[in-house]
Amino acid sequence: MTRRPTPAAASSGPPPSSPARRFGAPRDASVPRMEHVRVTAPDLLRRAALDKTRSRLVIAAGGFALLFAGVVVKLADATVIQPVKPRVAEIERRPEPPKPDGTPATPAPTPHIHAQRANITDRNGQVLALSLATAGLYANPREMIDLNETTERLKKVLPRLDVETVRAKLGSGKQFIYLARQITPAEQVAINALGIPGIYFEPTERRRYPLGRAAAQVLGEVDVDGKGVGGVERAFDTRLREDSSPLRLSIDVRVQAVVHDELLSAMTQFSAIAACGIVMDVNTGEVIAMVSLPDYDNNEAGKADEDARHNRGVNAMYEPGSTFKLQTAGMALDSGAAQIWSIFDASAPIHIGRFTITDFEGKHRPLYLPEVLAYSSNLGAARMAMAVGTERQRAWLGRMGMFSRIGIELPEAGLPIVPPASNWKDVATMTVGFGHGIAVSPLHVVRGTAALANGGIVLRPTILALPPDVKPQGERIMQQSTSDTVRKLMRLVVTAGYGKPAEVPGYYVGGKTGTAEKVGAHGYKKHTNVSAFMSVFPMNAPRYAVYMMLDEPKATSATHGYSTAGYVSAPAAGKVIARIGPMLGLLPQLDNVAAIEASIAIPLEPGRGSVPMARATPKPLVRPAQTQQPAAPAVPAARDIRHEASFVAPAVTGR
Amino acid sequence: MPALSRADNSLIGRWWWTVDRWTLVAIATLIGAGYVMMLAASPAVAERIHQARDVFIFKQVFFLALAGCTVVVVSLLSPKGVRRVALAGCLVALVLTAATLVIGVEIKGARRWIALPGLGLQPSEFLKPCFAVVAAWLIAEGKRPGRFPGLLIAFGVYGLIALLLKSQPDIGMLAVVTAVFFAQLFVNGLNLVLVGIGAGGIAAASVGAYFMFPHVQSRVTRFLDPAAGDNYQVNRALEAFGAGGLFGRGPGEGHVKDVLPDAHADFVFAVAGEEFGLIICVLLLAVFAFIVLRGLLLLVKEHDLFVVLAATGLVSSFGLQAFVNMASTLKLIPTKGMTLPFVSYGGSSVMAIALAMGMLLALTRRRHQGELL
Repeated sequence: MTRRPTPAAASSGPPPSSPARRFGAPRDASVPRMEHVRVTAPDLLRRAALDKTRSRLVIAAGGFALLFAGVVVKLADATVIQPVKPRVAEIERRPEPPKPDGTPATPAPTPHIHAQRANITDRNGQVLALSLATAGLYANPREMIDLNETTERLKKVLPRLDVETVRAKLGSGKQFIYLARQITPAEQVAINALGIPGIYFEPTERRRYPLGRAAAQVLGEVDVDGKGVGGVERAFDTRLREDSSPLRLSIDVRVQAVVHDELLSAMTQFSAIAACGIVMDVNTGEVIAMVSLPDYDNNEAGKADEDARHNRGVNAMYEPGSTFKLQTAGMALDSGAAQIWSIFDASAPIHIGRFTITDFEGKHRPLYLPEVLAYSSNLGAARMAMAVGTERQRAWLGRMGMFSRIGIELPEAGLPIVPPASNWKDVATMTVGFGHGIAVSPLHVVRGTAALANGGIVLRPTILALPPDVKPQGERIMQQSTSDTVRKLMRLVVTAGYGKPAEVPGYYVGGKTGTAEKVGAHGYKKHTNVSAFMSVFPMNAPRYAVYMMLDEPKATSATHGYSTAGYVSAPAAGKVIARIGPMLGLLPQLDNVAAIEASIAIPLEPGRGSVPMARATPKPLVRPAQTQQPAAPAVPAARDIRHEASFVAPAVTGR
Repeated sequence: MPALSRADNSLIGRWWWTVDRWTLVAIATLIGAGYVMMLAASPAVAERIHQARDVFIFKQVFFLALAGCTVVVVSLLSPKGVRRVALAGCLVALVLTAATLVIGVEIKGARRWIALPGLGLQPSEFLKPCFAVVAAWLIAEGKRPGRFPGLLIAFGVYGLIALLLKSQPDIGMLAVVTAVFFAQLFVNGLNLVLVGIGAGGIAAASVGAYFMFPHVQSRVTRFLDPAAGDNYQVNRALEAFGAGGLFGRGPGEGHVKDVLPDAHADFVFAVAGEEFGLIICVLLLAVFAFIVLRGLLLLVKEHDLFVVLAATGLVSSFGLQAFVNMASTLKLIPTKGMTLPFVSYGGSSVMAIALAMGMLLALTRRRHQGELL
């Protein structure tokens, strides 16, 4: 127990003591009134402790102030001073809202998913395929208030919705339901204006083909997810997604339209079941037109049947028939197995194994090589092929690319049907010599004929337009002189052979007919032909190859009961050439006709001794005095697969 | 607010004139912020986990209202009442925390929760403020003449709690409880040498935790070396702050809530930063700082050691929790899942904070000679 004067107590004691004066005393005489305050020792200790506590409290407050100041500094740093840039993908993932005028926001909210697919144009920039910005409509029924009301209101804006289907979908309990995959911007705005909760849009695009049927099989189409599933759309899917500049094709829609027009008219006239037409630049390999009939409107691709979607130009394998005789002539001349005036015995049918080879409307005599082409003699071609021999024939056709896919960019390009080397016996050599026992696509025939006509260069056909100054590298597979001779032979077919209907004045058309009987379940079918005309023009300076083919044309009175290529396909090719020549910048050359004709002419027989007689045929052939009747038609043997070139007379005729 | 007469001698009247109204306003502000952030952040989260959009909002509206009532009701108590409530609460929470080890729901490798209908209860949230008050009482009581070994008992209880939290494991909560207890000892006038030893001990314990608990180790490693592992959440959070800038993207315009699983809870501050920007975030921070600093500085005038220590414990627990949440969202410290008081979603967290703030208000009411005026 101690007594203390007040100052200590005054500072901490609960009752603050007030200084006071004695009553009535003057101011300077005043003394503080003494008070006795009892302060216990524990009390004093407590007071000292409390003092310490107070200073500690201030320190603690300071500590917290520091902590919070640290947060403020870091906060300022993170928001204003050094803000972390969000990842790009994070921004792009949120689609921009449509603009107020209803057009959807500029495409590419997410470039890797939704860049606008590039347009496809023809070689002149005409748009063949384009993408329209549309929206996908989807719903989350869990967020909806009244499913029935929602359905009815949607139906009013989108009449094509099926109420029952929508109701069933909404009632399925799923949280993500597509209601419509592609709605127009106007429909999107209208639906958005309904303000239905749980209705969402995602940016999509719709592929449209403004020219409908034009080159439908070549273009292919895209699936609901915008992925190319056929033709150019599939072949260049990545390119079309990633590079939004238009993809320029080699196709010329004007030429495409002409080919389509003439092919359809011939197909109708002869009641053919299908047809195929190709125009190719023989110097570059660019495909200018590729038509396959029947075809379909590419905007309704889903409704098209398999037959219409079939791109016969690259995907259908046909026996090329007599158009292949040009190949046989080319290989015979180039290899030295024959000269231009070599003679081939076509006087009698050839019996080999179970097969008999005959000629259609045969001359029943030995033929000079030009006659073999002009009269399209199977016997002559078979003998010519034997002169070349199996080895050289296979090597030639191999380099011509007849054994492999054509190499064009289209994914549909098919594999030719070719006898295996082990089974390529004499009979195969002979039949392949006139285009049977092997099946290739029309474009194979076009490419092979182009190589014969363009000076001997095999090109890789392309569906893309080449830059104007680019000359594609091809492979030379024959001498220039061989090509020159074959050109004359092609011209001869049109001037003196079965190809006459294809002649167009001033265009110096050369070509070769090819009629192959189709293969049925029991061998070749009589009067069921694939009739093709393979032409190149102008023969004095070849520019374009035109191929016209009709599948199962029926004879009419105008064709005297024939459905062979000379009657049904050659005229169509002539009409096409007459129409597309000017489009392609080729005007008919009507001056110097005689000189031009002379430069590309060759007689059927060596005349006036001006052309040397060739004697290189492997078998001594004598022009027989007597003529033999063709063998009676044999009962078609049970047909093997075409690889074996099995073959019965007179099952195969070529002309 | 209806004016209350100074002469009003009722319970409410006396409460109104003695309670720290500034702190009360600050708490109300935080509850308001909690509502706003719940509206902003929780629908996106609810949608992502395939719940109805409003599920979190309805729950939190209820809990925040309940929290407001709790604050007021608890603040009506006398210091003695606070002590009793805290003692009871501490006992119950201890038992429940122990129970989590047996009947707890395991979430992400830890047993901290007891499943109740409609909510999960994390008893250790309640243990934290209750222990702060009980420890304050024990320490203050130990200083009175007599042989009551208050300090020893306080250490004993602390040891028990530490053992329980380590077993759950809930190292973050243990760290906060430890820091709060340490702050109380410090304010109580702990010898500076011992302060140093204590600080060293906490540091040593942190290093120990780093080596003992793989999840602590992984979080610290990721914090120190950003390339070491997945910093997905905190990086998205930082991007959110960056996107927010000074003024924010605007209410509801934020994106981070679409990608962060905990946008409505532990990462709510990032949502605030993105949608409302630096200024609002600093204001929010200022409210927390105001409550903490005002609480501590007002205690300078206080004479009752129990009140000083208890309030110190409650305020530091509150302030530390806010700091840890904001700092880990900002990548200032390693990630520690801790809610932002009143603002984050979470029923038991909000209720525990409300209890703590109610007790703080009750203890800081103006009194004369220990009697409420």
